[in-house]
Amino acid sequence: MTHLNLVRWARVKSPWILHFNSGACNACDIEVVALLTPRYDIERFGVLPKATPRHADILVVTGPATRQAAPRLKRIYEQMPEPKFVIAVGTCACSGAPFKECYNVLRGVDKVVPVDVYVPGCPPKPEAILYGITKLLKKIGGVEASDNV
Amino acid sequence: MSEKNFMAAFLEWLGDAVLDFKVPHPRRVFILVKYGYHKDAISWLLKKFPLTIISTITGVDLSDMIELNYHLWCGVAEVTVRTRLPKTKPIIESITDLIPGAALYEREVFDLFGVVFLGHPDLKRLLLPESWPQDQYPLRKDWRMNNQAPILEVKPIEAELSRDKSTVNVVLGPQHPALHEPERFLFKVDGEIVVDVEPRLGYAHRGIEKAAERLMFFQDVHLVERVCGICNVAHTTCFCQAVELLGDIDVPPRAKYLRVIIHELNRIHSHLLLLGVAGLEIGFETLFQYIWRDREIILDLMEKATGNRVMAEFSTIGGVRRDLTSTLADEIERKLNSIKKRIKFYRKVFKNDPIINLRTRGVGVLKESDALKLSVVGPVARGSNVKVDVRKHDPYAAYDEIPFEEITYDDCDSWARFMVRLDELEESIDIITYAVNHLPSGPYRVRVPRKIPEGESVSRVEAPRGELIHYVKSNGTAYPERVKIRSPTLGNIISMKAMIKGCYIADIPTVMASLDPCFSCTDRMVFVDVRSGDRWVWSINDIKARMGSGSEH
Repeated sequence: MTHLNLVRWARVKSPWILHFNSGACNACDIEVVALLTPRYDIERFGVLPKATPRHADILVVTGPATRQAAPRLKRIYEQMPEPKFVIAVGTCACSGAPFKECYNVLRGVDKVVPVDVYVPGCPPKPEAILYGITKLLKKIGGVEASDNV
Repeated sequence: MSEKNFMAAFLEWLGDAVLDFKVPHPRRVFILVKYGYHKDAISWLLKKFPLTIISTITGVDLSDMIELNYHLWCGVAEVTVRTRLPKTKPIIESITDLIPGAALYEREVFDLFGVVFLGHPDLKRLLLPESWPQDQYPLRKDWRMNNQAPILEVKPIEAELSRDKSTVNVVLGPQHPALHEPERFLFKVDGEIVVDVEPRLGYAHRGIEKAAERLMFFQDVHLVERVCGICNVAHTTCFCQAVELLGDIDVPPRAKYLRVIIHELNRIHSHLLLLGVAGLEIGFETLFQYIWRDREIILDLMEKATGNRVMAEFSTIGGVRRDLTSTLADEIERKLNSIKKRIKFYRKVFKNDPIINLRTRGVGVLKESDALKLSVVGPVARGSNVKVDVRKHDPYAAYDEIPFEEITYDDCDSWARFMVRLDELEESIDIITYAVNHLPSGPYRVRVPRKIPEGESVSRVEAPRGELIHYVKSNGTAYPERVKIRSPTLGNIISMKAMIKGCYIADIPTVMASLDPCFSCTDRMVFVDVRSGDRWVWSINDIKARMGSGSEH
């Protein structure tokens, strides 16, 4: 195993997440938190919720990006170390609906930060968020494999 | 006192200053007073009914005038004192000297309508971002959104260096690792003691009230559901009730009982959520995992009854969207019985656990008089021995037929607020059991026309976090003229200042959790050394380690 393989293995086995609400109604947020609890127990994938962006690999964003929260979202993304990934949880985070025409909303979070995985739903079930995260983990493994030197 | 006697006494007091009054629905009074007399009207109410609290202030744009509606609950009726002021010169006297709890509502109207309140202690933006242009008031009818690119730079955190050398500013938020809404708090601390706090709201402000005006009534039901993902059932029920009052629609009795069942299931899920989070904030993560495991059972029942775990989409104008089968009713009763045993266990934990007692008893005290003055609602008020349960005092749906107790505690601290919720859980289970066993037969919804007759109505429900009020005005079309929503957290957040003064920094998460606005723990704090002006950043773990709060989160 080369050292790059080792790094990739470690990355896929311990994706630490940071959860940020950029203006959501809390429905997606409580489903994200429900992932930590015994029934879904996301820790079995090595996922740990982190308190600061500086420790996180994956940014889980819920809610449409509001004008007030958007600069903070961008700043949080910038504080994360590379390589970093973003999961948009919920239809609001994906496209802004039903708030896409509201005056204080910039639609989906991809208007502010690049998004890797979209998980639609209002709110998506914890299983769906779990599926999104595992999909991202596959992607992380795959991308690394393709430019394996 | 009936509405008639009330009006007679009121007219005697104000006489000519009353331009118009009406009592369109039971326990709802609308009084239009001359410009400049609103303070007299409100002070009369306060004198006559010392337990009067303010629910909210609604601004309505009447093209050349702005109408301000002061919604006050005086114990027997929801009195709406209204006055009109010219749009060209929207200036009015503040009522914060009479009711300090009106401060945030006046700031909201200032922010969204541009009404200036003379004598307000701290009149500034509440919801809109700092980058919002100065003379744009989105809730005025003539305002149009121009698609300017938003300003995306982050202003440095306000580090107002206080002249007093011993105090330090501590900023919490807007990003939190644990939960919920992004809000920011500026704490002024002296050593370990919190001296003052200033919340900054509006990170989740989406402009739903404006959006509601461009959708039809039946579409708005789904929009208001998304005001809050946790108490969504309360929002839809409240909105539907307001529209039903307007359209004079009779809801079938079965629908009323079904609304109660789902409403109470929603309350159980919300209270369990909060109690789990409280465990997390205290540093008792096992409690969080246990409670949230039990909460999943409630969510399963919600999913079976409504089709969705969280967003119920249950109430609709004229009834509910789904019926409850007798098999499911039995299952609800059976599963709730098992939950009840767990709740008895958690009650014992909260009552006897030495750590919970040390962290919550005597912490974040909100005196009864302060709770009244600040017009707090829900479990926060009931933890301070103020009786404000809307289900009891202003019954809606089927609550007037179902026996239950209103829970109050007179300890006035964080512990009391948690205990109120624990006891309410048991009450909720009893309510559901009663409702399931006394479910009337018949249809569960009636069809209603899309056009709603002209008029206005105020609807109140007891959401898990307290009184929720919707004001709906119709102009006779299928689209509402104005929808105003006051969620309970806005009513409670103002009390944080009174609670947190004199607490230790380590108590901040517990006190916030007891308020149940759900923005408890936070990412990082920026410390400012007042003497040298240096800034440095700590993670929450550094702080927790330093404060000894224990939980590695």
